Amino acid sequence: MKKNRLSDSIWVFGDYRNYFQNRVTLQLIAKGKELAKELDKQLIAVVLGDQVHQYAMEYVAHGADVVVAGEDPGLMEYQVDTYTAVLARWVEAFKPQILLAGATSFGREFFPRLAKRLHTGLSADCVALDVEKDTGLLVQTTPSFGGELLAEVVTPDHKPQMATVHPGIFRELPHDPDAFGCIIYPEIGPLPEIRVKRMRTRPQQTHDIRLEDAAVVVAGGIGLGSKELFGMLSELADLLGGDVGATRPAVYAGWAEEERLLGQTGKNVRPKLLISVGTSGALQYTTGIQGAETIIAINRDPNAPFFKIADLGLVGDAVTVLPLLLDALRKRV
Amino acid sequence: MIRYQESTISAYHNYLVNDTLTPGFSVGDPDSQEGFFFLADMVQSGEPAPRISARILDDHGVPLVELSENEIRKNSGGCIRQPPSGGESLILLFSGAPLLEVNTRSFANGYLTIIKAKLFDENGELRMESQGKSIRVYGDANLTLCTPFASSHKSSPPK
Repeated sequence: MKKNRLSDSIWVFGDYRNYFQNRVTLQLIAKGKELAKELDKQLIAVVLGDQVHQYAMEYVAHGADVVVAGEDPGLMEYQVDTYTAVLARWVEAFKPQILLAGATSFGREFFPRLAKRLHTGLSADCVALDVEKDTGLLVQTTPSFGGELLAEVVTPDHKPQMATVHPGIFRELPHDPDAFGCIIYPEIGPLPEIRVKRMRTRPQQTHDIRLEDAAVVVAGGIGLGSKELFGMLSELADLLGGDVGATRPAVYAGWAEEERLLGQTGKNVRPKLLISVGTSGALQYTTGIQGAETIIAINRDPNAPFFKIADLGLVGDAVTVLPLLLDALRKRV
Repeated sequence: MIRYQESTISAYHNYLVNDTLTPGFSVGDPDSQEGFFFLADMVQSGEPAPRISARILDDHGVPLVELSENEIRKNSGGCIRQPPSGGESLILLFSGAPLLEVNTRSFANGYLTIIKAKLFDENGELRMESQGKSIRVYGDANLTLCTPFASSHKSSPPK
C-alpha cells in the first residue's frame, strides 16, 4: 500500500526559490495531474529544503496528491551536488515513472546531472507533454535543430522518463484551501560535500508588472526596423494596460532588454491579447506566445508566416499603423 | 529500502507534531470528564487561528487548567493567560513559568501552528514535550484529525 503510493507515479520537482520558479512548479503540478489521471497514477510533488512546510501546503492546494518532503539544514541552498544525491537516492528507491522539473536555471543544471546519475534520458526545454495512447509512454515535445523543428521524444527503455519544461507552457490549477493530501518524509541519508561555495547572492532586477502575468502583451520584432519605432510599443502597451515583449533579433539589436525576450529561450506568455508587430513567425518565437487567447499580427509582408497563427492580421507598415493606432487609443483613454 | 513516515496534510492549516504536518490531533481522550487530554482541532479554511482544548495537569496528576477552544474554563492552578499577540498565545503557571505556548505562523496561503509545552497525564506520565520545532507526543493519541472534532464526535470537548 505504502509502496504503491510513491512508486510508479509522476513526480514534479518543487523549485520554490522565488515567485517565478514557484509558478513553474505549480504549472507542472497541474500538467502532471492531468497526465496522472490519464495514466491512473498519483501526482507527487517533491520538495527539498530547510523549512518546506508552506511549499508542501501550497502544492497540495494546487493539486498534488502526495508531497515528498526532505528537510535538512544542508538542503537550505539549492546546490546541485546535494539535491542530486538526495533525489537520485529517492528515485532509485521509489521508482517513479515520470520525473518533471521546470526549465529554470537550476532545473537546467540539476536535471541533466540527475538523469546521468539515474542512467536515463532527459528531454530539455519541452513545450508540450502528452501520453502515447498505445504504450502509455510520455511524449516529450522539444524544439530541436535550433528551434526549426519540434521533436517528439519518448523514453521506452529507461525509467524514469525525465523532462524539463519551459515556464508558462501550462496553466496552474486554482488554489484550493480545502484540499487534503499526504505528506511523506523519507530519510535523507548522508549528504555529499558541497564543492561549490556561494560567495554572494544578487537579486535579479524585475519590473513592477511581470511580463508573464500581463493580460496584454505587445511584442516587437526586427521587422520594426528601428529602436525608435520599437519604443512606440511601450506606449501602446501602457495604453492597453499591458507589457512589452520582444523577439530574439530585436533583443540582439539592443532594442529591448534580455528579460523581455519571448519564445524558446525566453519567456512564455499566455495573455488575453497579444499584438505582434514586425515579427515573421519563427518557431523559436511562436512557441512562447502560442498560449495567447487572441493574437493580432501587424506586418507589411502579407506572406509572413505569423499570419497563419494570428486570429486577426493587419497588413501594413508599422511606421504608418502604429501612430494611427496610438492616436485612436489616446482618444479613448 | 528507505524508511519514511507519512501523514495527512491540509492545504490551509497544519500543526507540527512528531516532526510531521497534520491538520489536527488529539492526545488522551477529549471526551473524558477528569483525565488529561489535549485536542488541537482541525481548522477550516477562513478560520485564522487554531482551536485548542485541553485539560492540563501537573507532573503529579493534579489539575491545573482546562481550555475549551482557546478559552480558559477552569483554572484551579491559578494559571495566567497572556493576551495573544502576533499569532502567539501563551499560558503561564502561577509561578510565571511557561506552561503552554501556541504559535501560529501565517504564510501566503495558509497557517502552521507550533505548540510548545511539557504536559503530563493523571498518572504523572509525560505525554507531550517540545523537541526542536515540533511537539512530540507519547502514548494514546490520534495524530490525524481530518474533520473538526466536534463534527465527528457525539459531544464537543467538555466545557
